This record gives sequence, structure tokens and C-alpha cells, in this order.
Amino acid sequence: MLRGFYTAASGMMANQRMQETLSNNLSNAYTPGFKSDQGTMRAFPELLIQQMGQTSVPTSNGGLNLPTQKQIGSLHTGVYMQETVPKFSQGDLRETGIETDLALLNGNLPDENGFLFFNVQNEAGELRYTRNGNFTVDGQGFLTTNQGYYVLDDAGNPIQTGGMEFDVSDNGTVNVNGANIPLGISYTPNSFDLVKGGNGLYAPGENAVPLVDARLGQGINFNIQQGFVERSNVDPAQAMTEMMNTYRSFELNQRVLKAYDQSMQKTVTEIARLG
Amino acid sequence: MNRSMIQASVTMGQIQHKLDVIGHNLANTNTPGYKSRQADFSSLLFQQIDNLSDEGIDEAANQEAAPYRLTPDGIRSGSGARLAHTNIDLSQGNLKQTDRALDVALLEDNQLFQLQVATENGLETNYTRSGNFYLNPLNNGQMLLTNADGLPVLGEDGQPIQFADDMDGMQIREDGAILVNRNGVEAVEAQLGIVEAVRPRMLEAAGNNRFRLTDNADIVGEGIIANADGQVQSGTLETSNVDISKQMTDMLMAQRAYQFSARSISTSDQMMGLISQLRS
Repeated sequence: MLRGFYTAASGMMANQRMQETLSNNLSNAYTPGFKSDQGTMRAFPELLIQQMGQTSVPTSNGGLNLPTQKQIGSLHTGVYMQETVPKFSQGDLRETGIETDLALLNGNLPDENGFLFFNVQNEAGELRYTRNGNFTVDGQGFLTTNQGYYVLDDAGNPIQTGGMEFDVSDNGTVNVNGANIPLGISYTPNSFDLVKGGNGLYAPGENAVPLVDARLGQGINFNIQQGFVERSNVDPAQAMTEMMNTYRSFELNQRVLKAYDQSMQKTVTEIARLG
Repeated sequence: MNRSMIQASVTMGQIQHKLDVIGHNLANTNTPGYKSRQADFSSLLFQQIDNLSDEGIDEAANQEAAPYRLTPDGIRSGSGARLAHTNIDLSQGNLKQTDRALDVALLEDNQLFQLQVATENGLETNYTRSGNFYLNPLNNGQMLLTNADGLPVLGEDGQPIQFADDMDGMQIREDGAILVNRNGVEAVEAQLGIVEAVRPRMLEAAGNNRFRLTDNADIVGEGIIANADGQVQSGTLETSNVDISKQMTDMLMAQRAYQFSARSISTSDQMMGLISQLRS
């Protein structure tokens, strides 16, 4: 049997999915606070191939056939895209001059995979995290994301700024008419626990380590820049290169698939041809 | 259909909208009192795809094959980017000296003049930064202060500003008071109504360099527009605050983003081509 048929097809499918990830990265190359995704491929579970045979042992009443099995080796039956891992790294800052734009800058973080986020509330009232500081003030004077979700303070309440005129200090305190409201900034020791959702929002995954208030944690430093947004950390040159790579890998798998097809063709047309 | 092609084409459509905004800004570089707009992107929906789960695979073998899966189960596939919102940049434009008595420039950010517009639903107040005003004679021997389109400019009391037409001259004081000179005697006859946009995101462009409150603004409540003690300067016009070099940079950036998405489509298309060649 031709074992590699579906292996080659799975390679094509995995590369197509990789292409989707890269394409999405390129689409978001200019989305503030976007973190690029990296696809990782993984082989399907390993199979052990065994040779099935028999040896015959001579006995008094004829022969006795004993089955024997000899291990040939292992075979992977294909590849799939196992996970898309966001690359959590600081994006560059871009100045907009608009006071409602805030950029969150990581300082020293105690954990290698630690990361900081703004706290926002989604339409269902749940706590979500975002790096997109392209905020605005809604009709009622609350600070919201560009989708209209409330940006929360450290007590989990929406922030009433009244109008567009407010100052945010380096340590993330919003000063409105003399009142100081600390922005809610959360810290996760393991950023890979977070699940990407739409509109740049992250939700904690099923077994996520709970996020903590960044101000209470030990050794966590951050900086808020008003009038700036954090740019996407997608590197277009890298994404284009990976896209070329993916395309060629796809093409190679297609070649293999065609080669298998030609073998099949020979099986159909040439074996058992009479005359 | 290939998901990456949909992503890329959706994104291209959105980038086109950004180019529209940039084009509109560039077209209004010389419009007095024009406020530039800025468009920013946001990522679109993410789709959770439950690919081969790690359950059911022998735990030990799984540990050997993929010991360090970093993220929660499944993969998340995005669907491109969209234009999130278009922010008005209400910062002050440069001032241009015109020496025309009825050219007035506002000197503080977020402040606006009021205009009266007749709509199907009655009279509506519009707002503008553009202070090139005119006097239009009415039939009853009065003069009406209007903007360049002939719309009445509202005074502090919310009423159109009118004067008897036998004046010798007029000037506008720094606090917005209009001094009219009749037979050598100057008197304050009206006061320009100046308001401040506290929450400018609730203003929508009404065309002709005017803004109006969005339809749901009155539900949303007060505090969107407040009366302000404005500082004005007559004989001066505020130029547009469009920064051409920034717009051109943004345009280059948008064009490249468009090209990236286009390249992504053509790559995906070639991949589709390879699939179709499978059965040749």
C-alpha cells in the first residue's frame, strides 16, 4: 500500500493553515498592540511498522506455521499545525498626539514569559486584557477602547474622564479634575496562558495562572506614554519570507502527492495488463 | 475557499477606507478650520479551531512528542484587520492674517462656532471651526451674520445674529463681542456663541466643514457640548491642521499594507493553482 498519500496531503493542509496565520499577521502589520502569531508544526503520532511473516517448523504430521513479526521502523503519517503561539514582545511606539492614545511599555518583569496588559470589560461584562491602547471617550464620558468597551481602573470600575482633557502620568494614573484614578494594569507570569479573541482582546485560558495587579507584584515595572500607541510587532520582512517558505513547502508536498498518483496510475494501467 | 484569501481581501477593503480618510485630509489642506482625521486599525475576530487534541493520545508518548505545548488547546486563526475608528484631531491649526473684519479664528482647542441649519426635522445646530463670516442683507432692512454657505451664525443666546443695516463699521472683540459703529458711536450689539466640544467623538461630519451631534447623542446625555468663554481673533483665519508630511507617510504605509495583503492573496492563489493541478 502507498502509505505516504495522506502524509503528503496533510503536509499541504498544514502549510495552508500556516499561510492563513502569516496572512493574518500581515493584515495586522499596522494594528496597534497586535502580537504576531507563529505557527508550530507537529508530526502526527508515530506508527511502528512491522513485517508480518511466518516461519514453518517441520513436524511429524506436516508443517506448523508460526507467525513472526519483525519491526521495521517508525513512520509518521503526516503533519498538522499544532498551535499558533503569539509572540509577546514589546512593539515600537508611534506618536499620534491624541490624548486618549495610551501605550503600555514593559519595564523589568520578574518572569521570562511575563507580560502586562490593560484591563477592559467586554460587552458581556467580563474582564479582558488588551495591548491596544488606541482608546477614546464615549458619549457618557467614559474611557473606552475603540470598540466601545470600558477601560477599567485598578478597582475594576469604568474610568470617567468627562471629556478629552486629562493627563495620564508615567505610572498609569489618570488625573481628571484633581482626582487620581490608577489604570488597571494586569500582569501575567505566563503570557501563553492567554487566548486571543477578536478586537485585540485576550481572555485567560482554561488552566491559566490568575493575572495579578501589576502594581502589587514584586519587581514589576511599567511605563505609560500618553499620546502614543504601541505598534504591531509583526515584522513584514520575516512574514513574507516565511510565506515564501510555506509556499515552497506546499509545492513540494504537491509534487510528492503527484508522484504517488503516478505510481497509482501504473498500478491501475500496467499491472495485470495482458498481452 | 481559502481562508487567507478572505482575510486578505477584507483587510484590503479596510485599508482602502484608510486611504479614503487620508485622501480627504489631503484634499482639505487649504480648507480654513478643517480638522484632520486619523484612522487606526483593530484586529478582527479570531476563530477557535479545535484541531487534533492532545487527549486520547497516550500521555507518555505525548510528552515525548510535544512536551512543551505553550498555549491552551486548539489553534486561534484570525480573520484580518478592520478600521477601528476615525479620530478627529481637534488641535489648533496655524493662524493666517487676512485683515478682513469678519474673519474670526478660535484660539483654543476643541472650541467651535454654532450655525443654524434648516433640516427636514426643523432647525438644527451645527458646529464649525471655520470663521470666514459674511453679512447678508435681509428684506426687512436687517443684516444677518452668516458663514460662507449663507447659514446663520448663532449668538450667545442661541439666536441668529442680526443688525440694522445703517452701520458704519463693525469689529469683533477678543471675547467674541461684536462692536458696531453707528455715527461714530461703538456699541456691543451681539456676542458670538462659542461652545466647547467636551466629547468630540460624538460629533459627526455634516459636510461643508460642519459637524453635527450624532442622532443618539441626546440619548447619551449632556456634557457633549458646553458653552465656553472663547478667545477669538478677528482679521485672522485658522488654517487646516492637516500635516501633509504625516499624511504622505501614512499613505505610503497604507499602500504597503495593501501590497502585503495583495501578495498574500496571490500566494494563496498559486497554492490553489497547485491543488487544481493535482488532477491534470
